[in-house]
Amino acid sequence: MSAAIQFNNVSLSYGIKDDAVEVLKAINFSVESEEVISIVGPSGSGKTSIIMLASGLETATKGSIKINSQEIVGLKENELSEVRRKNIGIVFQSFYLIPNLTAVENVSLSLEANQQFNLEKDAENLLDEFGLSHRFHHLPSELSGGEQQRVAIARALINKPKIILADEPTGNLDSANSDSMMDLLFDYTKKSQTSLVIVTHDNSIANRCDRIVEIRDGEIV
Amino acid sequence: MARLFNFNQFKLINKYALRDFSRSYKKLWVITSTLFVSLLLLSLTFSVKEALNSEIENNSKELLGGDFQVTSGIDPLPDEIIDQFKALGEVSSTIEFATMLSKEGESPVFTELRAVDNRYPLYGAIETRPQIASERIFVRSEKPSVLINESIQKLLKLNLGDDVVIMGQQFEVAGLVSSVPDLVESAVFGEFAIISMESYEKFGLNSGGSFLDHEYRIKFNNSNQVEEQEEFLRSIVAYDDSIETLLPGESGQSLSRVIDNFSNFLNLVSVSAMVIAGIGISNTLLSFVNQNNTSVAVKKSIGFSSSFIQTMYFYEILLILILTSVIAYLIGVFSPLLANELLPKTLGIDLKPTFSFLGFLNIFFIGLLVVLIFSIPSLYSISEIKAGALFRNTFNPVSLNFSLKNILLLIVLIVVLVAYFVFQTEQKFYTVLYFVAFFVTIFIFYGVSKLLILLMKNVYKFSNNSYRIAYRNIVAKKSLAPIMTISLGIGLTLLLTLSFVANNLKKEISDSIPSMAPDLFFVGIDRDIQSNLESFIKGVDPNVELEFSPMASASFISLNGIPIEEVVSESNRSAWVVEGDRRISWSEKPKPDNPIIEGEWWELGNENEMFISMDSRAAYDLGMKINDKITLNILGRDVTGVVKNFREVDYRDISINFAIIINKAFANKLPYEYVGTLKSELSSSDILAKVVEKFPNVSAIKIDRILSQVSDVLNKVFIAVTAISLIVIVIGLIVIVSAVLVQTTFRRYNNLIYKILGVDFPTILKAMTMEFAVIYGTLIFFALTVAVISSYLVVENTLQLSWQFDLGLTLWILVSTALVSFILILLANRSIFSPKVYPLIRNE
Repeated sequence: MSAAIQFNNVSLSYGIKDDAVEVLKAINFSVESEEVISIVGPSGSGKTSIIMLASGLETATKGSIKINSQEIVGLKENELSEVRRKNIGIVFQSFYLIPNLTAVENVSLSLEANQQFNLEKDAENLLDEFGLSHRFHHLPSELSGGEQQRVAIARALINKPKIILADEPTGNLDSANSDSMMDLLFDYTKKSQTSLVIVTHDNSIANRCDRIVEIRDGEIV
Repeated sequence: MARLFNFNQFKLINKYALRDFSRSYKKLWVITSTLFVSLLLLSLTFSVKEALNSEIENNSKELLGGDFQVTSGIDPLPDEIIDQFKALGEVSSTIEFATMLSKEGESPVFTELRAVDNRYPLYGAIETRPQIASERIFVRSEKPSVLINESIQKLLKLNLGDDVVIMGQQFEVAGLVSSVPDLVESAVFGEFAIISMESYEKFGLNSGGSFLDHEYRIKFNNSNQVEEQEEFLRSIVAYDDSIETLLPGESGQSLSRVIDNFSNFLNLVSVSAMVIAGIGISNTLLSFVNQNNTSVAVKKSIGFSSSFIQTMYFYEILLILILTSVIAYLIGVFSPLLANELLPKTLGIDLKPTFSFLGFLNIFFIGLLVVLIFSIPSLYSISEIKAGALFRNTFNPVSLNFSLKNILLLIVLIVVLVAYFVFQTEQKFYTVLYFVAFFVTIFIFYGVSKLLILLMKNVYKFSNNSYRIAYRNIVAKKSLAPIMTISLGIGLTLLLTLSFVANNLKKEISDSIPSMAPDLFFVGIDRDIQSNLESFIKGVDPNVELEFSPMASASFISLNGIPIEEVVSESNRSAWVVEGDRRISWSEKPKPDNPIIEGEWWELGNENEMFISMDSRAAYDLGMKINDKITLNILGRDVTGVVKNFREVDYRDISINFAIIINKAFANKLPYEYVGTLKSELSSSDILAKVVEKFPNVSAIKIDRILSQVSDVLNKVFIAVTAISLIVIVIGLIVIVSAVLVQTTFRRYNNLIYKILGVDFPTILKAMTMEFAVIYGTLIFFALTVAVISSYLVVENTLQLSWQFDLGLTLWILVSTALVSFILILLANRSIFSPKVYPLIRNE
């Protein structure tokens, strides 16, 4: 079975020449299909940079990145968008729901990006599964933090992506909300046979994963 | 755009656009309102122009009064020629000349008198009050009747049945002329009267002077083979070059030209309004993109491409454009009904609303070009939004995207826009010049903003918090100062330029001309009475300033043997000098106020050779050189003379001036009459009344009356121009607000941080005032410089007036614009003064 994510000698630096900051230093790692891993490490170590690169939202300075065997380094913006649409769901720490769209509309957005139309019912079913049946037509400003993050997760999962990238998904939630959120994410990942990469500072979350990747000063340790 | 042709994608774009449109319409009000106002202005101009042109075209025979018109000037056509006319159809003859019309106890008025036969008009009708009055002038009675226009009635306080005197004969006022079918300028703007041909013959004029005009109109019996009949008529009168012929459609040409010129001006103002609106559109879109920064990033993270998101926003703008252009066009279609109310009734023009899909497409196409030009740099900024920022919680404002590809695209679109306007106007040069000046001004202000940032960076030594905040806002990376500078700068420059031109023109009419001009202008004075008239006037006022010049009628035939029509185009600025009958004069010496600027004055004597002195401006416009040979038709004889010199002629003082002067020795053989001017400390009305009583055939124009007529017309034009300028200014202010809106999100965020850090409201307010003052203070110099240069060029070169700077007006405009703009900025920014901390904590 091929790796869902494959990083080969990937480096990332910002700035130019003497002022350049090397964020990632020729890292190699892979995430297998259906594997759940957590990336841990201190602030500024390069955790988030890894999932930015994996999602094609950042361009590697050097090296090769493959998503489901497809090389994404060097792809054009439109091609990267297609890779994301077909393979990846992203969950952010700050939810980032679109403020003028309702919960159902926010979730449907992912389907529509993939040219799947009139599937609001699917979005409603998923939100129902996440316990949000009473919030279908509410705007993000009318939802609590926990509810917003559940909508955000539903948005990431609705397309049945092969890979889920989650950046501190519980960073803005209390512990009760945090636990239920992670249950939701783990259960769904398992059920849908999806790879999951979680960036976290929370050891309890990291320990629930199949594997822990620790990163320090831009290198995997 | 290719994205729109994928049906599923189109459905999605349509769905998102409509949803976004319905939920964000408040944010799009700047685009909607500015687009609508500028499209409406354009639509009004196009609709009224189209309606006027179609009215002139549809009523061309009425406007001519016949199927064919022949004008023979001073002398009537021989009877045998008129008999040939009659063989083709009905013939109506009229005679027009200027004379004095007086009422006992009132100062006489200079009147354009038209003597008509009972067949006039062959098409249309003379509209009078009472309705039957037009027939009464043909009723034979001891006291003949006259029809007068409203202006004479008001000036002489006349009632129906009152007596008036024309050339020593008594007439009874039979009625008021509301309109005549053919357009008569004096009927609209001056004094006009109609008598019967029979009454005219009683004057027993041997010579009506050079202001006499014989006109013949023919209505064909056979409505087929019109062209052959027209050709035949032309061949009959071809023996005399000074005889002019006119066809239906040609009669309204001068009015058409006036309409074209005015509508061209309106079009340029409209397109300026639209370009300024374009800046607003650009600002608003950029603001919109920045406010939706997170949403755009989220969409990108989900897998939407930049081009999809750009197309979606562009589709939204397209929907607004379609909506606003349809409404603007429909309102514009009905604007001719409003124009009917504003146009002088005497013109007898009835404009009708006409819907044309092509007319709509015209408006829409211009709107589309402007929208494309100004939305491309804003919408392409979407590609600069990084979805990766969602991981970092750091969003930088994006600015206009001027990539090489975009710049090339913009150049092509701008060229298409300019070319589209240029090809629709006859004044191509001025249109191109206007566009060039406009776009250069935009670049000047962009440069000004960059210069300001550079200077600020070099003089940074602020210890005060407000100054520091203001400084940071201006010099920050991706500062929004350029957008503010361009919007404010263009608005202020346009306002200053229009005000300077209008002010100079008004000053010239109200102050300069009256102080220089004579009080009376005598026309068509028989040479036999000239010396008696001069003595009589000097007897009335010994201190009077009198000047008489001999004058004869001539028409321009050729330049260096080439027919003048082939040398000079109708659009030539000085074409008037060579068109139709031209009055020429002669003198032994050059006039002191007509300095020779090229060539030399001629030697005295030499009565067998004609020497010519030309108005230098006309000569240069017509491409003449010293020693060129000009052929003039004088009294039916072609005479060729040599151009000896060019004179600088200033017509503004309304003294006696001629474009063409010939040598006196040659001219002594010609029959001639005099024109003269009078300037006196006494009342010109009293002098004129005495003169007309003693010399009933003498005609004189009161200059103050002409000036007041010109002022009246100018005032109406000013009202129209000011109203149009106000629309442009309102759009400019909306644009300024849009520039402020661009900053709102980030200012609110910054102020929130300042608030958390303990910076108080007065400090933030002071910082905003400082920032505005610095930007406004910088652009004053450049706006003033551009406005002074452009208004100087218009006033001195186009209007041929002397330009003056008015400090009071300038200060008033600068201060009031600053106040209005700053208050608007404060109002638009009111939400940033007390930002709520909660949304920041919630990352909303």
